[in-house]
Amino acid sequence: MLAALIFYLFAGILSLSALMVITARNPVHSVLFLILAFFNAAGLFVMLGAEFIGMLLVIVYVGAVAVLFLFVVMMLNMEFKELRKGSMRFIPVGLLLGGVLLTELVIVYQTWKINPKVLTETLGDSAAAPEVPLTNTEALGQILYTDYIYIFQGAGMILLVAMIGAIVLTLRERSGLKRQKVADQQKRQASDVLEIKKVTPGTGI
Amino acid sequence: MINLPISIDAIIPEITLACGAMFLLIIGALSKRIITNTLSYAAVLLLIFTFFLLVSLNWDTSISMNGFFVMDSFAGLIKSAVLLSMAGVLALSTGYMKREEIVAFEYPILVLLSTLGMMVMVSANDLLSLYIGLELQSLALYVLATIRRNSLRSAEAGIKYFVLGALSSGMILFGSSIIYGFAGTTNFTAIAEAFSANPDMKLGLSMGLVFLLSGLAFKISAAPFHMWTPDVYEGAPTSVTALFAIVPKLAALALMMRIFCEPFMGLQDMWVQILWVLSVASMLVGAFAALTQENIKRLLAYSSIGNVGYALIGIIVGGTGGLGATLYYFLIYMAMTAGTFGIIMSLRREGASLEKIESLEGMSKTHPVQAYVLAILMFSMSGIPPMAGFFGKLFIFESAIAGGYIYLAVLGVVSSVVAAYYYLRIIKVMFFDEQVEELQYETNVPRDAVIIVSILIITGLVLMPEPLLIMTQNATASLF
Amino acid sequence: MAFLSVFSPLIAFFFAFLFGKQLGDRGAQFLTCAGVILAAMCSCFLFVDVAINGHTQTILLMNWIDVGGFEATWNIRLDTLSVVMMCVITIVSSCVHVYSIGYMSHDPAKARFMSYLSLFTFAMLMLVTADNLLQLFFGWEGVGLASYLLIGFWNTKHSANSAAMKAFIVNRVGDFGLVLGMFTIFVVFGTIHFDEIFAVAPEKATVLFNFMGFQVHALTLACLLLFIGACGKSAQLGLHTWLPDAMEGPTPVSALIHAATMVTAGVFLVARFSPVFEYAPDALMVVCVVGATTAFVAATIGMTQFDIKRVIAYSTMSQLGYMFFALGVSAYGAAMFHLVTHAFFKALLFLGAGSVIHAMSDEQDMRNMGGIWKKIPFTYALMWIGSLALAGIPFFAGYYSKDIMLESAFADYTWFGHYAYWMGIAAAFMTAFYSWRLIIMTFHGDPRANKEVMSHIHESPKVMLLPLIVLAIGAIFAGAALYKPFVGGSSHHGADDHHLEVDLHHSDNETEHHNNEHDNDAPVLEEDHEDTTAWNRIGFWKDSIKVMPENDTVEAAHNVPKWVKLLPTIMGACGIFLAYVIYLWGAGLAGKFTKLFKPLHNLFFHKWYFDELYNVLFKEGAIGFGRMFSRTDKGVIDGLGPDGIARSAVCGGGILRRIQNGFVYQYAFIMMIGLICLITWVVFGGMQ
Repeated sequence: MLAALIFYLFAGILSLSALMVITARNPVHSVLFLILAFFNAAGLFVMLGAEFIGMLLVIVYVGAVAVLFLFVVMMLNMEFKELRKGSMRFIPVGLLLGGVLLTELVIVYQTWKINPKVLTETLGDSAAAPEVPLTNTEALGQILYTDYIYIFQGAGMILLVAMIGAIVLTLRERSGLKRQKVADQQKRQASDVLEIKKVTPGTGI
Repeated sequence: MINLPISIDAIIPEITLACGAMFLLIIGALSKRIITNTLSYAAVLLLIFTFFLLVSLNWDTSISMNGFFVMDSFAGLIKSAVLLSMAGVLALSTGYMKREEIVAFEYPILVLLSTLGMMVMVSANDLLSLYIGLELQSLALYVLATIRRNSLRSAEAGIKYFVLGALSSGMILFGSSIIYGFAGTTNFTAIAEAFSANPDMKLGLSMGLVFLLSGLAFKISAAPFHMWTPDVYEGAPTSVTALFAIVPKLAALALMMRIFCEPFMGLQDMWVQILWVLSVASMLVGAFAALTQENIKRLLAYSSIGNVGYALIGIIVGGTGGLGATLYYFLIYMAMTAGTFGIIMSLRREGASLEKIESLEGMSKTHPVQAYVLAILMFSMSGIPPMAGFFGKLFIFESAIAGGYIYLAVLGVVSSVVAAYYYLRIIKVMFFDEQVEELQYETNVPRDAVIIVSILIITGLVLMPEPLLIMTQNATASLF
Repeated sequence: MAFLSVFSPLIAFFFAFLFGKQLGDRGAQFLTCAGVILAAMCSCFLFVDVAINGHTQTILLMNWIDVGGFEATWNIRLDTLSVVMMCVITIVSSCVHVYSIGYMSHDPAKARFMSYLSLFTFAMLMLVTADNLLQLFFGWEGVGLASYLLIGFWNTKHSANSAAMKAFIVNRVGDFGLVLGMFTIFVVFGTIHFDEIFAVAPEKATVLFNFMGFQVHALTLACLLLFIGACGKSAQLGLHTWLPDAMEGPTPVSALIHAATMVTAGVFLVARFSPVFEYAPDALMVVCVVGATTAFVAATIGMTQFDIKRVIAYSTMSQLGYMFFALGVSAYGAAMFHLVTHAFFKALLFLGAGSVIHAMSDEQDMRNMGGIWKKIPFTYALMWIGSLALAGIPFFAGYYSKDIMLESAFADYTWFGHYAYWMGIAAAFMTAFYSWRLIIMTFHGDPRANKEVMSHIHESPKVMLLPLIVLAIGAIFAGAALYKPFVGGSSHHGADDHHLEVDLHHSDNETEHHNNEHDNDAPVLEEDHEDTTAWNRIGFWKDSIKVMPENDTVEAAHNVPKWVKLLPTIMGACGIFLAYVIYLWGAGLAGKFTKLFKPLHNLFFHKWYFDELYNVLFKEGAIGFGRMFSRTDKGVIDGLGPDGIARSAVCGGGILRRIQNGFVYQYAFIMMIGLICLITWVVFGGMQ
């Protein structure tokens, strides 16, 4: 009962804040609502017993991604109202389409039932599981580098590409910047830069 | 030999490619000078080396990496084609990149990584590896589209491609999650088993498949998911456009074939209808929208949309006949496109690259050989015998008729007749119009070599259309 | 032998095209001429071997495609029909090759021109020797390609370019029909090999097709689609607009491609498919009506044109119409007969016209000619021969072939047969009229060209005249010589009674045999027919043409009333007489006539407004359609222009704004709409 209550609390806040993300006028508010949504989703994961993913959500999404968003939004200082104009035109049709999609998803959901085979497999596994249950982290660690090594490495390559991409597209070597070069400074001698001239009064150089 | 817990034999080409790409990346980053060209040649060699590794493998069907990876003769053929055509595209682009002063040494690295992504896609035996491969491939391509970062159009193309590509990835993920929800597994073989055991999950799987299919349709730019194509083709540097036009679609088509034939064979009556719509829409858009194009790259974009439409016909027909015809068609299309882009990249007018069709005016007088080569390519593209493109279309339409899809064949012929007009216009401009300004042809050994190979393929297939067709049909036989 | 006859032009093409520079003009000319003449000699030899000695054969060159249920081979099929075509093609082509040496002597790109001509010859040979539809289509497109290249050969002329383009596009429409026809045949018969198709055609005569919800007779559909292809190549009404414009090409090209050979490919196609057409009477009716109408309409236009080549072009179109209506009444032999004689005299006329144009310093307008017959008497005489043959004056080639076609049409005793006969008679009158109008305006009267041109007029060099003589011999004697094997079992009905009596006697015999056959229920084309020598059309054509006994109009043509036989000749003579009256003797009469029939003249002069109609219907339509697509496709981008935006956007914020401007939204939106439509379809389709 209590679990159900907490579930609905998290789920309700999650849906509401997700709605606020896309309707809030101020973009900073949007990002803040996004963070709230992440927190609630993390709570839901914890309730499911997936504490690792829950924490991951908090650390990575809230701690890194959303905060980065916040910085970007604040630094760009853009006229969001103007940007919004383009998208506003599509709202009525968008709502209609969303409605249609939702109905269809509901219809399809009606036919859902859990695949019996999956049920037996997971139950069978848990029966054979060791006495001391593994924590999420341990369980993931056990399969991530063995069963899922292929996918894991693949994901690594994706991140590599993302990194390369970010560097290629943003790193600029600007010419004309003044940089301190210690070696050059030390090599410099008075004779290189100074020239002594005798100036006769009244003539200039 | 080190005794590994899992066998990595089948993925040796992938590992080689990944390690090679990272090695070249380090070399590029550490080098004091800009060595883009050297790296490009090294990358070409790496691709060819990988190709030989792949050929030396055993192509019998085997599933490895805990069910994520499948190696069979189908994957083998497609991967070979991907590797070789990528090598060709890199060879095409070296001269162009140098001339356009795109110096980023990451260019060949990104090409290598996207090739890796395509190989993963082609060998995917699980929704997870499908997604990883697709994303690796696309992410590298997004960056490549934007690589000329000082050009507004290039940046615009990249961002458009990225945003829409992200949407399509979202569709694929959403679809995958629906499929997982119903089938309880992401493995292709297991999905097929689950479906045959519980036919009542049909509706759910269908819905998931539609999402998946829409995402893939974006990748192969089938109408109505094609909108990005002309803009991105136009905006991206021509060498990147060539890459877009030639290689990724093959990988995505192969992926489609695999998911239709393996996990979703039971839903055939459903996906055939959807492909029907996609195919017809693509053929018509490709034929009609190109009529008014003035920009060569946009024209080729619509041409590729149309060609994907024809290629889909074979998938609809199914069986080794249909799939074989599709592969055959697409391989020829790749060869033709490579040659066409090669010529376009070599031509310059007043020091700038060609953009407009009318810039080709009078080419036959100043550069007759190149003009004839381009004319052969265009005739082939429009499917006029005796060129190879004709056989591609012939086999596609023949399979459609044999499979009872007469309307598709008729629509295909209608649109290829219409499309012939714009290919022909290029020939007309080259041969019959007066030259206004001088054209320069830049010779570049690797690029010219690619053009020659492409012409050889096209003319060689005229006399011997059969061996390749048998090869593609045998390859597709491993899907069933 | 067969190899040499087909491939020597190809070899010549390769050498002349690739090594044109090294060979030099002389070398290229020599090589190509030698290749084609060799082919011509081999073809004549084959003609004797196959058509007369009856050694019908099919030579397998190589297996080409063999996948699943679909197979195709490269063959050289030698039967009477194909060797007849081969002879015509190679002989006319040889003449044109030789002629071109003289005609193109001022052109800088001689080697290229000669190589294209050889390429064309090869493609045409490929077409006629095909043993399956695919190889036929191969040759079909090959000749189209060569024709495209040759029409646009003088690429500095704008009109030549647009003519080449037009020819190609109109032909694509025809080819579209042909491809669909091939599809239909493949669907119905499951093969594309001629022998297999023809063998089972009788069984398929009752197959019905469900097409767009209608029950359609499968063979009729297939035949009609093939006929659309034939219409495109052979410039029949509806798809004819390219032929007159094709005259922009060099004159030898017009003679070879647009008069003698390529345009007759359609006639060949229908004749080749006679075993199928015989089972599709409705299709034959359409062929007949279209042919007859074309013959008439083209002749009316021919009377009003002033460009010397265009007049001959319309005459070609009209004569092709004749061939088609002959095909339509099952008189395939007669059509082929006319095809052969027409090839000779029309090539002669074209080359003669070329000789005139050459002499007149490239003047083509007849209004600027006149009074030159004394200066170029040789050409003048040859033009007379050609025109006499064209007008069907007795004992010239055209007389025999045209009459037998008209008689066959009459002897069909159907409404469309009679329609064709009367249209043909009218066209025969007009043919004679415009032929002499051409001769008189070109050669007689007062010189209308300026002095300078007149002073330059000279007879063409020998190298141009020699081929003309060869063709002239054909134009005079081909009719009489080939009459018996092609269409006869009996001699032609002459004007005098003596012949007629003999003839009646003969025809009685024929009828008797005919009846016998009916009794035995044996097909007419049985080898062991009473008269198996080659000098009889049945022994001559053998299996290459199939006519059902009840459709054998050529047979019946020998028994039509006398007036039917005489009328074409009389009309021809009247036409010539009228031309003399109007253009030579009665000065100013032409203008009066024009005024008198102003509306009619306008209609004819503007070619029945076909071009204008098509422009409105298709060109504008298709381009508008394309615009519509690209507009919906690209949203507003085109209006602003990609360049315009790139210019107006200055900084990074500019890009972002532009991305946000709705284009990406729009694209994403269309994707979503597509997705949701598909889902809706699947969900609601799946639920039922």
